[in-house]
Amino acid sequence: MATAHAPASAAGPGTGGPLAALRGRPALGKLLLLLAVAAVAVPLVHARWGGGAWPGALTADLSAPLGEVNDWIVSNRDSHPLFVYFLGHVSNAVVLSVRGVYLALLALGWAGVTAVAALVAWRTAGVRLAVTAGACFVVCGLLGMWVPTMQTLALMVVAVLASVVLGILLGLAAGLSDRTFRFLRPVLDTMQVLPAFAYLLPVVLVFGIGVPGAVLATVVYAAPPMARLTALGLRGADAGVMEAVTSLGATGRQRLLTARLPLARKELLLGLNQTIMMALSMAVIASVIGAGGLGDRVYQALSSVDVGAALAAGIPIVLLAVVLDRTTEAAGRKAGTEPTGRAALRGARGWALAAVLAAAVAVVGRLGGGRVWPEGGVVPVAGPVNTAKDWMVDHLYTGIPVIGGTADWAAHFTSWILNPLRGGLQGLPWWSVLLIVAALAWTIGTWRTALTAVLAMAAIGVLGVWEPSMDTLSQVVAAVAVTLVLGFAVAVGAARSERLERGLRPVLDVFQTMPQFVYLIPVVALFGVGRAPAAAAAVVYALPAVVRITTQGLRGVDPAAMECARSLGATPGQQLRQVQLPLARPALLLAVNQGVVLVLAVVIIGGLVGSGALGYDVVFGLAQGDLATGLVAGAAIVCLGLMLDRVTQPTARRSRKES
Amino acid sequence: MSESTAPAPARTTSGSAAPVFSVRGLWKVFGPRAERVPGSEYAGLPPAELREATGCTAAVRDVSFDVAKGEVFVVMGLSGSGKSTLVRCLTRLVEPTSGTLTIDGEDVLAMDRGRLRELRRHRAAMVFQHFGLLPHRTVLDNVAYGLEIQGLGKAARRAKAAELVEKVGLAGLENRRPAQLSGGQQQRVGLARALAVDPSVLLFDEPFSALDPLIRREMQDEVVRLHREEGRTMVFITHDLSEALRLGTRIALMRDGGIVQLGTPEEIVGSPADDYVREFVRDVPREQVLTVATAMRPPTAGDGETGPALRPDATVSEAIEAVVRSQQPTARVMDDGRLLGVVDHACLLDVVAGTGAHGVSV
Ligand SMILES: Nc1ncnc2c1ncn2[C@@H]1O[C@H](COP(=O)(O)OP(=O)(O)O)[C@@H](O)[C@H]1O
Ligand SMILES: [Mg+2]
Repeated sequence: MATAHAPASAAGPGTGGPLAALRGRPALGKLLLLLAVAAVAVPLVHARWGGGAWPGALTADLSAPLGEVNDWIVSNRDSHPLFVYFLGHVSNAVVLSVRGVYLALLALGWAGVTAVAALVAWRTAGVRLAVTAGACFVVCGLLGMWVPTMQTLALMVVAVLASVVLGILLGLAAGLSDRTFRFLRPVLDTMQVLPAFAYLLPVVLVFGIGVPGAVLATVVYAAPPMARLTALGLRGADAGVMEAVTSLGATGRQRLLTARLPLARKELLLGLNQTIMMALSMAVIASVIGAGGLGDRVYQALSSVDVGAALAAGIPIVLLAVVLDRTTEAAGRKAGTEPTGRAALRGARGWALAAVLAAAVAVVGRLGGGRVWPEGGVVPVAGPVNTAKDWMVDHLYTGIPVIGGTADWAAHFTSWILNPLRGGLQGLPWWSVLLIVAALAWTIGTWRTALTAVLAMAAIGVLGVWEPSMDTLSQVVAAVAVTLVLGFAVAVGAARSERLERGLRPVLDVFQTMPQFVYLIPVVALFGVGRAPAAAAAVVYALPAVVRITTQGLRGVDPAAMECARSLGATPGQQLRQVQLPLARPALLLAVNQGVVLVLAVVIIGGLVGSGALGYDVVFGLAQGDLATGLVAGAAIVCLGLMLDRVTQPTARRSRKES
Repeated sequence: MSESTAPAPARTTSGSAAPVFSVRGLWKVFGPRAERVPGSEYAGLPPAELREATGCTAAVRDVSFDVAKGEVFVVMGLSGSGKSTLVRCLTRLVEPTSGTLTIDGEDVLAMDRGRLRELRRHRAAMVFQHFGLLPHRTVLDNVAYGLEIQGLGKAARRAKAAELVEKVGLAGLENRRPAQLSGGQQQRVGLARALAVDPSVLLFDEPFSALDPLIRREMQDEVVRLHREEGRTMVFITHDLSEALRLGTRIALMRDGGIVQLGTPEEIVGSPADDYVREFVRDVPREQVLTVATAMRPPTAGDGETGPALRPDATVSEAIEAVVRSQQPTARVMDDGRLLGVVDHACLLDVVAGTGAHGVSV
């Protein structure tokens, strides 16, 4: 496996005296120290507990106590004051507001909703996006997905509003108080690297399956970016401006409202954008716990491998994502710049005109048509798509001369890469896995990140899910390796060719906005179900981020250094190897980190399409009402996410964020 | 502000009126347990040793001065000498460590939050090196900001702001945002914002250091004009000697947090207090700063009849011009028809060459 070589290769030949070599290469020193510790500890540990998988003596069986907690909650849901007076009200409020928004959307009628979307896009982002937004909703109707789209939208509206309020409150607290910031920041940072699936089970435990749980899971998942960016924006306010404001005698409140918040407008809007995108992503995934809407349609279709139906529900999700992202992004770009466009349409007047137009369209639409898209106006796509898929199954899956078929590829990937990797990881002595994790995390990061990573890994063992976790880990490692090879290759090309980069940019933009869930549809169509399709979905999901970060890193290399290399007569290959790659090291490490985090998220979701392991345990727990199994798997996912993030967390990322 | 319209007394060293700011034994120490430094055995240590011993930096050390009504009090020194810290102490944007500080006789350090806000809102307004404008507001709303903070209605504050935008020469740019203005224009906005609240003292912290030389000159003229027209008291921080000499009624020269010399431009240039100041003013064209009152010698018999008459505050370069024009050997220094002294070629050349020992006593 790739990772096992790293410690050995990092400890390359030293020059000069041994101490000088250590001082010049701190990584070497760390490894030697680790080696010394291992030399003492490993024989003892091995003698006591043996090698192989995590020793049974060191596990704690949590399923019994968790089962009890679950039973207690189930039996007290209607009687305990905590539920009756607090959680019950929360749950009711959520149900009522989602229902209210949903009815309001229906009352507006399909014409009205489409008009509102188009006009909002027009005011914030211009005519082109207005057309896209309008078309998006029309397509939703044409695909026969009007009602699920409205359900998803209603859930989104409530979840996003709650996330924004919660995020801004947390962000204000962290932005104005150093102590809160120091406490909240690592929590928020960590929450952002955890796979969405990990949030589902605790919520289900408390709220049960249904809309309240789905909304709350979405809020918990989507609020951190808002909180984080609010805090960073407030803290980043220009000190000179703040001092000037104070010098004029502004009160604390005035400073906040007239200076600090407006100065953070860009960050606030970026936070809104990220929150909306994450809320959409989660609202779709939360179909597993009863969110309904588009995600549910995809989920149901995937369970019966009905690619046509999945596609019909997936397209609206993608369109919604693109429109929401572009609109909020345009709002963020425009913040603080001079108003443009015709004077008659600026500011409040433009919005008033938009509101009047929308109202007019809504009234006309309701008089002429119904609340939902007319039955007759639906273009059936599921049938033709499934026909095409069947044709694919017959002609592309297998038996194509020379290149084989997609199913063959998947089978080969599974038997040649995934299986040996899984076998290898599960066969490694448990203590050696801990050592490898420590070595990787410590050489790339600090002793703190290494300690967290090792503890997280050990926690997985203690939870008693070592085997499935190694299975998941093997899928992650394989998918990350493929992602990095492809991503770095594309990025090197894009960094060199302006044309390629320009062509790639819109593709990356669209791919980066799509919710994770959607990626499962095409891979199931192409490769069927199993571990290989899940890995493929993970690769496709993580690739855009890796390509983008790497390209930016390579392009951001100091032009003076490149010019110097060129003037010395370096070939393009030498320039790349000796100047660009070393100087872009921080970006490359960040790309690896992002790649790992994103791959893990999708590999876990892959449990829905037969990738087994931890993701399947969660799905199984949810489906069977066996929350104990699901919760343990969820905790293991959290630990795995923590471990993978810390192992790949460069010191540079920490220190740069600190500044 | 009825008194602010009175014309400024050109170069008063000490007015008979009470001082605007009165500062005595002021300290500002940054660092851990800063309050132990003033008055202790550490107080006399040079900066490096102080940091070594305590981990503290004494940005302002034992500073005392008065700012008279209507004067331009310039604080000058190299970067890091504590000028910005000192001027921020005046309105407690930086909290002084020890010492006393009064404005119009009122103890600033004893003020509670509300009173301090009143001070900042109405009595002292500041202009900053990096402008400190609000990027999301138009020029007009930036200028009106101080009035908005005070709770003035929208129409009233906009009217007042429009007046000031006009006054600083930005008419027509009211609806621009700061990012669309040049540096000089942005600082005019900063100036207008400070003037809008009609403060009794204007504080400037290196307001023109970030500007191109030509623009800087223009802005200095603007300040001179403002001072001449309104006679507003100003505390002006700068690291630029020529700016200090151009604008200052009196100049305090700072080094390592302390004031090494405090006096009129003429005193600073004519009789530097120590080698540091001497080195500082070495390249100043002395004939443009020193007056004939400094350069003259007592009249001897027969001196009183001929030669052009000069006022005592005429500069030496003016005297040279007069002497050369009149083709007389000497010029007379006259005050109210009384002969104070005479300047001859030797006196004047001494000043230019910097060889004469001109102890200035005013
Ligand atoms: N907030 C602060 N914390 C610690 N030291 C400071 C702080 N502000 C200023 N100093 C130190 O005080 C000294 C004087 O700074 P300053 O007043 O800004 O000088 P000037 O404006 O003359 O350049 C410098 O040595 C500076 O490093
Ligand atoms: Mg300064």
